[in-house]
Amino acid sequence: MEHQEYQELLVLYSLDALDAAGTRDLEEHLNTCAECRDELIELRDTGALLAHAATPVEPRPEVRDRILASIQREPPATSPAAKVIEMKPRAQRNIWTIGLRVAATIAFVAMLVGIIVLWRRDTRMRQELAQLSRQFNTQQHELVRDRDVLGRQRDALALLNSPSAKKMELAGTQTAQSARGTFIYDPKTGRAILMAEGLPATPTDQAYELWFIPKGHSPMAGRIFTVDASGHAMLPEHMPPEAMESAVIAITLEPKKGSAVPTGATYLSSPSS
Amino acid sequence: MQAEPSQISDNDLLHAVAGGDELALAACYDRYRLILFGLILRILHDREEAEDVLQEVFLQVWRRAADFDEARGRAFTWLVTIARSRALDRLRSAGSRTRLAEEVAKAPQEEVGDAALDALKSETGAIVRQALAELPDEQQKTLFLAYFEGLTQTEIAARLGDPLGTVKTRMRSGLSKLRELLGQSRDLV
Repeated sequence: MEHQEYQELLVLYSLDALDAAGTRDLEEHLNTCAECRDELIELRDTGALLAHAATPVEPRPEVRDRILASIQREPPATSPAAKVIEMKPRAQRNIWTIGLRVAATIAFVAMLVGIIVLWRRDTRMRQELAQLSRQFNTQQHELVRDRDVLGRQRDALALLNSPSAKKMELAGTQTAQSARGTFIYDPKTGRAILMAEGLPATPTDQAYELWFIPKGHSPMAGRIFTVDASGHAMLPEHMPPEAMESAVIAITLEPKKGSAVPTGATYLSSPSS
Repeated sequence: MQAEPSQISDNDLLHAVAGGDELALAACYDRYRLILFGLILRILHDREEAEDVLQEVFLQVWRRAADFDEARGRAFTWLVTIARSRALDRLRSAGSRTRLAEEVAKAPQEEVGDAALDALKSETGAIVRQALAELPDEQQKTLFLAYFEGLTQTEIAARLGDPLGTVKTRMRSGLSKLRELLGQSRDLV
């Protein structure tokens, strides 16, 4: 079997879904191929994320006691000196993104060259040029749109991992008792994200609108959004500086284009302090 | 941001466990009990058995923490892998796999995307769940059958009536998307 074929099997192997014969072959190959071993580490780290698909559940408190009692009966069988291995930062393998960027850059440079050549030639050619430009723009837009969802999730993770990030819990009001939300923001950058759950679907001519209500100020309009079929929404926000100190965050139902001041019922709100 | 004030990294925690530090094991339990118990319960669908397995898992963590090698993957991966393997072993030894699988198939789907309030208990979890929810149904189903039921490629193909190659492609596409997500956030839990 070729190296390429083994790589194909790695995905299955990383989830223990490869049959016995394939497993034997692949394990032999892994003994001799460092590249596949690295790939396997990445795949396993990724596969482990699937654990998050299970809803977190609290075990009974007795379990903790039982575990701590059972380990006291047996000392760890391992050597007392824990080995410390210096962590090697694995190269960020983002070939796809890099590839797209390279492709976009090449396309852009090609456009520039095209522009210069055409410019020199003839004004009649300009129409053609305009068309090429439009095509290029369309392609760029598609590229951006495809990356948008992923980008949103990445930004959210970056925000969550930021040490200065702060969190506000939003509770459902009488209107939407099962709704919940979390608003996370970074006071340093003003970047924020709203995650909401359990919001009812909006009528076609209406949408939810987010409001920042700083103490002693009138409400400041934030983003307008709708929820998906299961009542979720996740949207990036920007926290206005006025709202940074102490503000209530609220979500109301408004006409689709949004309102300048809240007019509809409140669905979610952070506690007023 | 963390629910607990402790800023000790997972790696250091496991090294401390390897050195025989009981408090480190307790901290490790406190940090991961929710997700690990959720995972085990999702595989076994039985609270009592799941609690048994959770205990086995932490006993194994205690005994084998020195085997953890951060050059070979994240601490989270190491813990989750132990929990999943133990739970799947239990599922198989119970010999009740078929019955359970049938029950699961009959039970109302409570896959990713259900507006469980618990989902917001962990923001990272919520984001991963969102990413999973955005996968096409077949990819999600294929990954879940492998992950939570421990089915092989052949078994999944039989269950879903798909060709073997399709199963492989779906797993690859699904994992690639998750991997992109993981790309810039190696520290997330």
